[in-house]
Amino acid sequence: MNKSKNADDGTRSSDNSDNSISTQLSRRTLLRSGVAAGSATLIPLVAVSCSSTPTPPPDSLSAELNAVLDAFADRILPPDAEGPGAAASGVTRYINRSLAEWNQADVPLVRGGLQALDAAARARHTQGFIALNADQQDSLLLAMEAGQVQDFANAQAVFNRLHRLVLEGMFSDPYYGGNANYAGWDLIGYPGAVLGSTEEMQRMGGRLPPLHTSAYGEQHDGH
Amino acid sequence: MAIKLPETDVVVVGLGAAGGVAVLPLTRAGLKVIGLEAGTWMNPPTDYHADEIHNNVRALVTTGNKVGREVPTFRNTPDQVARQLPRHPMMNAVGGTSIHYHAQSWRLNPWDFRIRSATLERYGAAYLPEGSTVEDWPVSYADLEPFYDYVEYEVGVSGKAGNIQGRIDPAGNIFEGPRQRDYPMPPLRSCDYLDRMTDAARSIGFHPYRGPAAINSQAYEGRPGCALHGWCDRGGCHIRAKSSTDVTTIPKAQATGNLTVTDNANVRRIETDNSGKVTGVTYLRDGEEYFQPARAVLLGCYTYENIRLLLLSRSARHPDGLGNNRGQLGRHYFGHWDAQAGAGASALFPFDLNIWYGAIAQGVMVDDWADDNFDHAGLGFIGGATLHTYTEKHPIGAAAMGLYGRTPRRWGAEWKNHIRQNAGRWTSAYLQTNTLPYENTWADLDPNVRDPFGDPVLRITSGPKQNEAKAAAHAAEKMQQWFRAGSAIETTGQGGTGPSLSTHAHGGTRMGLDPGTSVVDAFGFVHDVPNLGVVGGSVMGTAGARNPTQTLQALAWRSAEHLAAQWNTRTA
Repeated sequence: MNKSKNADDGTRSSDNSDNSISTQLSRRTLLRSGVAAGSATLIPLVAVSCSSTPTPPPDSLSAELNAVLDAFADRILPPDAEGPGAAASGVTRYINRSLAEWNQADVPLVRGGLQALDAAARARHTQGFIALNADQQDSLLLAMEAGQVQDFANAQAVFNRLHRLVLEGMFSDPYYGGNANYAGWDLIGYPGAVLGSTEEMQRMGGRLPPLHTSAYGEQHDGH
Repeated sequence: MAIKLPETDVVVVGLGAAGGVAVLPLTRAGLKVIGLEAGTWMNPPTDYHADEIHNNVRALVTTGNKVGREVPTFRNTPDQVARQLPRHPMMNAVGGTSIHYHAQSWRLNPWDFRIRSATLERYGAAYLPEGSTVEDWPVSYADLEPFYDYVEYEVGVSGKAGNIQGRIDPAGNIFEGPRQRDYPMPPLRSCDYLDRMTDAARSIGFHPYRGPAAINSQAYEGRPGCALHGWCDRGGCHIRAKSSTDVTTIPKAQATGNLTVTDNANVRRIETDNSGKVTGVTYLRDGEEYFQPARAVLLGCYTYENIRLLLLSRSARHPDGLGNNRGQLGRHYFGHWDAQAGAGASALFPFDLNIWYGAIAQGVMVDDWADDNFDHAGLGFIGGATLHTYTEKHPIGAAAMGLYGRTPRRWGAEWKNHIRQNAGRWTSAYLQTNTLPYENTWADLDPNVRDPFGDPVLRITSGPKQNEAKAAAHAAEKMQQWFRAGSAIETTGQGGTGPSLSTHAHGGTRMGLDPGTSVVDAFGFVHDVPNLGVVGGSVMGTAGARNPTQTLQALAWRSAEHLAAQWNTRTA
């Protein structure tokens, strides 16, 4: 599968608004209607929690690097009038958890990369990355994305990996510590994890109303 | 010293898509069967999750304990050192990869079985791709039709027939070969987006149909209909609606009383006697080594392990590996992704598609540009690809969408607005290309990389394929045309970036009549080892424009039925 692999092209912009169809379909209706087509099997829409609340693992990054990561994440997905940015949505918490559990191999890249980013900020502006204004941060990230930062040989690889981890944190199940209050899913209009869908949940014509459901129920450390 | 167990009639190595089907006709024929599986039983309600991190990021369903330690190495040309990927989506479990595949369940097109002669007849020798080792299969579509039918009814496949005994129904796939009857279940539920794309296809003269799926569209044989919750890709089914063999043919075989499932069994060697016949297999379980004697063995692992186990099972009579006395083992290997890695098309629509939920197999298909369904004169290639658009979008993947030229970069406030508006408005298509075997593509043992037992892993060498690359690029153009007809405002398409390790691995123990160009005979038994059969994608000589699963299941059924019918001859 290459579901997310596509080239960038085209120039036009769309002027369609996001008409919610929530008037036709309330969250309550959706929660009640977990019946598969052609089957009498009732499927609960919220999964039974598979474990009790896990203890969050200790951070893999120092408080100082967490602050750099927060600042980086907020330039990828900045807060705006309609919703929080990546930092307030717990992306740094997600990344620490992934580094402690299944992404341990990435710890040197992430740790070294954030240190190098902070050092590059000091070299350019005599202060750390978190103290720069947004324009200064963006111009440094542009250089980083292009792999053109002095004394930061793997800047592009670090940027690409951090970019991916920010996306994972923002748009994954809040069970893992990011996507706090379902801010990521609300941003893109993904209603929530369900165990069955109805015809109404696949009807076009506007955004589906948010369900705010995790695959692991309400009891997890992501909230 | 291995612990010697009591003899059984048949050992089946690997209880996945193929081996998990073969056990049913064997046990129904009254043969005592021991199924040796490297993994164990999954528990669907607790082992599978509606979770992109679990399924797609961490790949916890598709990464088995054993397959994870023996991922093949890969290179493009013999002068390169092959490299091992950290992981590859396979699975060790009762049910194997039939648990996490998309469960589109296809018959091949009749053309797929006789590409060589059909191409010579219609276009002439110049149209046979240079360097290809393609042969006609030793079985035809008509030979396999009864076995396709068994699989569709015993495994459980939903769909709509397009050709019942020659009667064409445009509601189904008009290009399919004749079938004796319709599917046991109607297609999976449709949805607005798929209805729109169906109409769009008809408006430009294409012939759309609902793709067949080994997924219940309604209650069938005690299992419920699909809930279309959107976590089929690389995940298992929490309600057993996907017709993986662990919930279909394997339990049916157990019900005969003739199947013993031995899980966590790591088969190391297939053993032979001085006459060259198979005597059984040696396996490890919980640190103990066992020898399981058997009158016959069916090897039913994934393509990579079928080839590797045969290469590793050397003896005086088979010094280069079982089935390799003519140097054919590992030859004629090829994968669906040999030419089309990265091939595909995507589209941005001016409205929300609401295809978050559903299933990859909840799709609509077009076969007009696959197989030999169109005139290839002057095009410079044979074959083509199926076009498939579908539902099931996961939020991380949706947010990692293309820019479509609408925003300068993939981060920042403007990009955030881009994904806010468009993450639910884009989709991609799945294009599967007819693929042939080539001289420049084969499998052998890696000289450098070993598994924890010290055995070499398999090494894939896969050179470029011009024919398949052109076919994929042609199909990508057609897919974009279809998207536009469906009112997409932006499309992308590309023909592929070249060979990569495939999840649709074919060949390597090719089926054929000539022992000089194949490993197994027309029934799937090793030419010079009458009591050793091979089931799985490794016996297939060509790849259709669709996944191989139902075909390798039909072939497995046929091999098993043949073994039971010819028991005395095969085991004499």
